[in-house]
Amino acid sequence: MMKVNHLSDDRLIELSMLEAVSTTEQQHLSACARCDARRVRLQRMLDDVSDTATAAADAAFPPERLARQHSRILAHLQHEGRPARVIAFPAGHAQHEPTVSRTRAGSRWVAAAAVAGLVVGVVAGRFGHDYGRPGASRVIVARTAEEPELRATGTTATIREVSASISDDEFLNQIEIAIDGPSAAALQPIDDLTPRAWDVR
Amino acid sequence: MSRTPPRRAPSTVAGASAPLAPLSRDSQLAAEIKGLVTGGDRDAARERYGELVARQQRRAVRIAYQYLRDAHDADEAVQDAFIKVFTHITSYREDLPFEVWFTRILVNACLDLRKSRARRLRWAVPMSSTSDTPVVDPATPEPTPEQRLVSRERTNQITAAVDSLPDRQRTVFTLCHLAEQTTAEVSQALGLSEATVRVHLFRAVRKLRRLLEHG
Repeated sequence: MMKVNHLSDDRLIELSMLEAVSTTEQQHLSACARCDARRVRLQRMLDDVSDTATAAADAAFPPERLARQHSRILAHLQHEGRPARVIAFPAGHAQHEPTVSRTRAGSRWVAAAAVAGLVVGVVAGRFGHDYGRPGASRVIVARTAEEPELRATGTTATIREVSASISDDEFLNQIEIAIDGPSAAALQPIDDLTPRAWDVR
Repeated sequence: MSRTPPRRAPSTVAGASAPLAPLSRDSQLAAEIKGLVTGGDRDAARERYGELVARQQRRAVRIAYQYLRDAHDADEAVQDAFIKVFTHITSYREDLPFEVWFTRILVNACLDLRKSRARRLRWAVPMSSTSDTPVVDPATPEPTPEQRLVSRERTNQITAAVDSLPDRQRTVFTLCHLAEQTTAEVSQALGLSEATVRVHLFRAVRKLRRLLEHG
């Protein structure tokens, strides 16, 4: 029986992708159904791969996109090799500088307003704090009244004795005089706005 | 889908340097552009180059897209390659096919982009897995009739099979089969011996056949 030389896998690949089929091989493929089926199967697989890849690329790059790409490439090359354009800074602009001077004047006003606000805040805080607490008013009044006695004795017993020496009516009367004074009246709105310690609690 | 028949290289002894085909129209055009640039007529050179870009563009995006699997990256790689070709046109050797020289520049541009993409991904938060589906550009229009013929499942299977090839096998397969270059041209484009190119090509096809015929 005559030995049949089937085509090897590599030879089939060569025939499918690289080289033309020789006359002998063509005769063999015509006679050998097995080799021909292998060749057809391989060719179909390669065609599938090629079709899939080509279709995917062509779908991603339709003619409009290719045209845009073409334009971008040529536009890029249009500027290629040319020196960069330098835009001159306007010479007269630096002499006037109105923006800078306006900024300085404005910042001065802002600084002055901030200082004034700080002063008013400190004063208001000081008075508002003192008048907001009944105990504090009492201490100021009491201290004024008892100062000579404190200097003389300097003991706890003396304080109790001096405090007792001012009647409640007199003490409340002094508070009212202080509250009704002109400086206290000006600060009354601030005092109204400021929460009391017992309210906050 | 219309398919041009594969370009056949003359049969050569493995590893020997192969005689190349006569210079193509694109090679002649490239030589002409080189002459114009050398002569200082850059405007005329650019005009002629527009023609060369149009002739090579479709093939270039197919190679780049097959390699990068991302339309934006492929777009960028192709643009980079074309710009680089023009800026270095004076170093083009007229005795070589333009396609070979251009393909080499294009493959290098794709490799650079893949490297930069890998660097970007190292810092990026991983999104949902898209490894088994080809990346589709948002601007992609309705599928072509050719796409509809091939089932989605088969398309994904083929894409995954090609993606599973080692880099060099994939490059050789892409250039030989999809870009329809001869093994001699691919060996010049990649700086490999022709025997090595053939080995990579055979291994790639064997692996694809194993994955796709029995998968």
